[in-house]
Amino acid sequence: MAGFLVRRILGALVILMIISAVTFYLFYAIPRDPARAFCGKICRPETLDLIRHNLGMDEPLFVQYWHWLAGIFMGREFVQFGACPAPCLGYSFATQEPVFSAILDRFPVTLSLTLGASLVILSFGILTGMLAAWKVGRPLDKIASSSSVIGASLQIYFIGPLLAFYLVDTLELIPRPSYVPVSEDPVGWFTHLLLPWVVLSIIFTANYTRMTRSQMVEQLTEDYVRTARAKGMSGRTVFFRFAWRGAMIPIVTIFGVDLAALLGGAIITEQTFTLHGIGELAVRAVQNTDLPMLLGVTIVGATAIVILNIVVDVLYAVIDPRVRLS
Amino acid sequence: MSNLEQQVTTSPPGPFLSVRDLSVEFSTEDGIVHAVDGLSFDLRKGTTLGIVGESGSGKSVTNLAILGLHDPDHTKIGGEIWLEDRELTGADRATMERLRGNRISMIFQDPLTALSPFHTIGRQIGEVYRKHRGASKKEARERAIEMLSRVGIPQPATRVDHYPHEFSGGMRQRAMIAMALVCDPDLVIADEPTTALDVTVQAQILDLLKELQQQTGTAVILITHDLGVVANTADDILVMYAGRAVERGTVREVLTEPRHPYTWGLLSSMPRLTSSVDAPLKPVRGTPPSLLSPPPGCPFHPRCDYPELAGPELCRTQRPEISPATGHGDACYLSLRQKTEIRTAQIEDHA
Amino acid sequence: MRSHSRRIASMTAVLAAGALALAGCAKGGGGGAPETAAGTSSQKPLENKAVSAITVGTAEDSKGPAPEIAEAKTGGTVTMLDRDDFSHLDPGRVYLNYNSSVSELFTRQLTNYKRNADGTLTLVGDLATDTGSTTDSGKTWTFTLKDGLKWEDGSPITSADIKYSFERLFADFITEGPTYAQQWLVPEADKPFRDQYEGPYDGKELDTIETPDDKTVVFHLNGAHPDFNFTLAMTGYGAVPKAHDTKQKYDRHPFSSGPYKIVSHVTDKSLDLERNPHWDKNTDPIRHAYPDKWHMEFGYQSQQTTERFLADNGKDKQAFTFHNPVAPERVQEVLGNAEAMQRSLQGLTPFTTFYNINTKRVTDVNVRKALITAWPNKQIQQLAGGEVTAGKIATTVMSPTVMGYEAFDLYGKLQKPEGDPEAAKQLLAQSGDPNPTIVYAYNQTPTQEKITVAIKEALTKAGFKVVAKPLNPATYYDAIGLVDNKYDVYWGGWAADWPTGSTAIQPQFDGRQIADGATNYSHLDVPEINEGIDKANAITDPVEAGKAWAALDRKIMDQAAIIPEFYQTYFGLYGSGLGGVKFDPLWGEQSPLDIWVK
Repeated sequence: MAGFLVRRILGALVILMIISAVTFYLFYAIPRDPARAFCGKICRPETLDLIRHNLGMDEPLFVQYWHWLAGIFMGREFVQFGACPAPCLGYSFATQEPVFSAILDRFPVTLSLTLGASLVILSFGILTGMLAAWKVGRPLDKIASSSSVIGASLQIYFIGPLLAFYLVDTLELIPRPSYVPVSEDPVGWFTHLLLPWVVLSIIFTANYTRMTRSQMVEQLTEDYVRTARAKGMSGRTVFFRFAWRGAMIPIVTIFGVDLAALLGGAIITEQTFTLHGIGELAVRAVQNTDLPMLLGVTIVGATAIVILNIVVDVLYAVIDPRVRLS
Repeated sequence: MSNLEQQVTTSPPGPFLSVRDLSVEFSTEDGIVHAVDGLSFDLRKGTTLGIVGESGSGKSVTNLAILGLHDPDHTKIGGEIWLEDRELTGADRATMERLRGNRISMIFQDPLTALSPFHTIGRQIGEVYRKHRGASKKEARERAIEMLSRVGIPQPATRVDHYPHEFSGGMRQRAMIAMALVCDPDLVIADEPTTALDVTVQAQILDLLKELQQQTGTAVILITHDLGVVANTADDILVMYAGRAVERGTVREVLTEPRHPYTWGLLSSMPRLTSSVDAPLKPVRGTPPSLLSPPPGCPFHPRCDYPELAGPELCRTQRPEISPATGHGDACYLSLRQKTEIRTAQIEDHA
Repeated sequence: MRSHSRRIASMTAVLAAGALALAGCAKGGGGGAPETAAGTSSQKPLENKAVSAITVGTAEDSKGPAPEIAEAKTGGTVTMLDRDDFSHLDPGRVYLNYNSSVSELFTRQLTNYKRNADGTLTLVGDLATDTGSTTDSGKTWTFTLKDGLKWEDGSPITSADIKYSFERLFADFITEGPTYAQQWLVPEADKPFRDQYEGPYDGKELDTIETPDDKTVVFHLNGAHPDFNFTLAMTGYGAVPKAHDTKQKYDRHPFSSGPYKIVSHVTDKSLDLERNPHWDKNTDPIRHAYPDKWHMEFGYQSQQTTERFLADNGKDKQAFTFHNPVAPERVQEVLGNAEAMQRSLQGLTPFTTFYNINTKRVTDVNVRKALITAWPNKQIQQLAGGEVTAGKIATTVMSPTVMGYEAFDLYGKLQKPEGDPEAAKQLLAQSGDPNPTIVYAYNQTPTQEKITVAIKEALTKAGFKVVAKPLNPATYYDAIGLVDNKYDVYWGGWAADWPTGSTAIQPQFDGRQIADGATNYSHLDVPEINEGIDKANAITDPVEAGKAWAALDRKIMDQAAIIPEFYQTYFGLYGSGLGGVKFDPLWGEQSPLDIWVK
């Protein structure tokens, strides 16, 4: 296990290096001069040269990448922005704030949004999926299945503002979504994020309901489930103790992917509810062709994916003893 | 084991399991499948019945019906199944759950898929014991170790904590047998228990089954498509074709004096030590009939070489019943004499 | 205009979004908004006439306090909702209107504009007692500071602070702001200013600014600049205290000289201001500073703010927006909503849009004139969302918001805004090539795609052969900024840095400034115009100067260097709990100066 983790983490670092280098290179392939963002309306060539120097962009590309990489561990100094202590991912070209602190500031928002929603998605999705599979073909199954189709075909940007209009503006049941740090006010944190959680859940839960249902139905046809029944295990035991395990494997896989994507930024949800999370940061970075921020957000997203991949692999081994971590 | 001995000695003789006019129909999207149609047979305590037939002949379906494992939403079961004085087709869910794994247990074909990959062998054996005997976890574990030891698994105290994938194929089947026998059942249904195994392991498993049966006096239904398997193991044989019994008798009767043309076909498709190596195996020609719309008359007539011998239309229009009602019987319109002649000719041919 | 700003990018985004709105001109509906630019009511369409009479005020005009507004009350918290955070707050790095609007609350310059109730502007002394004096036609300028000026820590604002504020603009990290004063304050006007002075951080001073006493600042320029006092009204020349200059970090948290100070600034999220107790309203003729606090939030699209202003619930009643316009798809609805129109404002921004004609490639003036004549302004306006969203059809270089603006229409565009193919054909006949090929480069956005179709159709009718070249929006300005670009016509926009003709015309049409990435996108280089620019720049009297610039405007239009498109309009909403929300003709968005909480 320990050996497995060490190997996987080393591998992950290599992957992150490659991703950052590729992102770095691709960005420079865009025929656009980021220095222009720092040049006034009437921009003189000598000012552009100065800015390129200030940003460290007057050096060869690999040197620039090396400085970027070294900055993560040792910090660095920019004329344009001043000191940037380690871990330094540079300064945003658009907002002049340190990328690392920008991401750090916003990460709790995305984390709260993601984890809260995940909890609802997993518990509700799996529960309704199980119920549907338990009563397969019966009215309960039909209700769960068709409502999950409806849920999955809804869009955040449609039901988000709609629910906000009724629940926040009209009925004033819940406060307008925003992020209240959980350390300051746990109740406020909960109530302010409730709507985004619900909306994200409506969309995603449906997938998990359908997936759980079909996985369960499939598992129930497995030989070992029949064996369990032939042993006199009650239907409930068979369902919740045997079939469940097998059904979880694909669900864990998909959930790992979804969670990583959400941690990289629940872009539409954040936009819809004006939550200042990683997703918003990413959208702005793209809109502004903001290299340091783009790199930073890409690395965060990639890190989330890589870490969750490892977690999913470990979970496989926990769920299924046939899987060996090596 | 005193418990067991007691059971054996106090059980009344006579049919222990009695299946009467059993029919099993599945409703599918294409229509109704008549998987079993008017099947009757008896099983005496402590004996082994081999049920033989091609896939789709209804042999597995029959036994799942005994265990009540069919999906009630899509299955219609007719007839009666008596386990001593209890009728099973009309029994409620709880009754069946109490019987399964306890008085009747089952050994499945492929132990790799039939055992849960997620639980240890010990737990899978132990939970049956806990369920039916109300044993504690500790007792269940001890019982599991004891059972593993009885089915010949070395180092059972270690192996009890292993997962099925850590066992070899033969070991897995032994574990499966241990699981089936953990509650000292009165009836064990073994559904092709050796099909997934190597030939050498097959023999070991069959020997084990036989040995355990002799120790415990359990009745066994051995389902197989392989007459060779039943030859050494069973007391009686029931040959099934298209959901019906076509021949019934003791092993000796059926194997030495087979009466039904289908049984002949099965026997000639089987390699024998007595026949010469060059003698070609003759599989039964044609394919099993559709159970959605079984042919009228004798369901075997489209594959039978002798339908004309019984009369111009009889085999095509009338369904033969098994006769005589007890002892060695078969469901065919050919006269006993005709059968003997054909059979004699066949054997000479072979030799 | 440059693509450097997020705000400008937003303007083009708004134009793009306009395509979603129903085409057709907005007709004023409902009750007229009480406060609109140039005093026009919303029922009356804005006219192509000078909307902001701009005058240079006297010492009396420069005295505080600002005249009280009837009914206005002191106190309360005002909420500001907008799409983007302010990209810069360090005055030296501020160039965008949006940043300037908020800076009014905590940054003061030597001069500034009084926004008069009738929509006119008066240049007055802000920190200075008047608009400055010059005895040599604008080469030497003297300003005197008012009494009672203090920083947010209570220390006095001195002439040394003002001098320092200009010196730090030479620092290598201040690259985003205006550079006029820097270039005029070094010995040699033709050499880069940073080569001649490196800023105050090494202890060196700039000799061209003298501070004979604590109150007096004397600027010695390297040439005559009669509108230098307008230049100094730019936020970029706001005051920064030497004792509290945090260099690069100053941008996040400037030190206040105005009525409010920054309490917290969370990038892209919020900015909170509260009263600066050391600000004395008697020194300030411009700012009322009625509210106690300002709470500003970012990240809202115009769809969201429009929704919230229309709902007008809770704290949103006390909310306004600097920039977010009414979402184009809601314009018709708002125009028909009498209650909402009471809380709306509209006006002409200083921003003009046009199509540059590359005069280096399209050398025949008759072809250029034919382009203007055939151009389908009306169709473009409809595709861009109509007059209220996109703007009024323009016929000149200068915006009506510029001092001295004269309305003229050399090519009959107001009579035939949909284009006049017959007249264009005649012009082409005179050029010798009745079927010239025109390469039209455009930003590849959904709206621009549609507009391109309309342009192609109109030009083809007049006999042109049109080749449309879509450009990537991210690199659009880099592509058209090349002197030897391969395009004939391409869109652009401009706003004067101060409302006189010099920054409306010189950066765009001075042929001596053509360079890669420079702002003369039409590459016009006509000696007569170049000389005219120099002459107009030298005129001391603002009214006379205005006339000279208007004459140049006419000459440039006669040269057909650009196809004017729109004088950009602004149409916005605010909450019902606020009074004194006005359209600011200077920055072209909502003004915080007179706002009070009901």
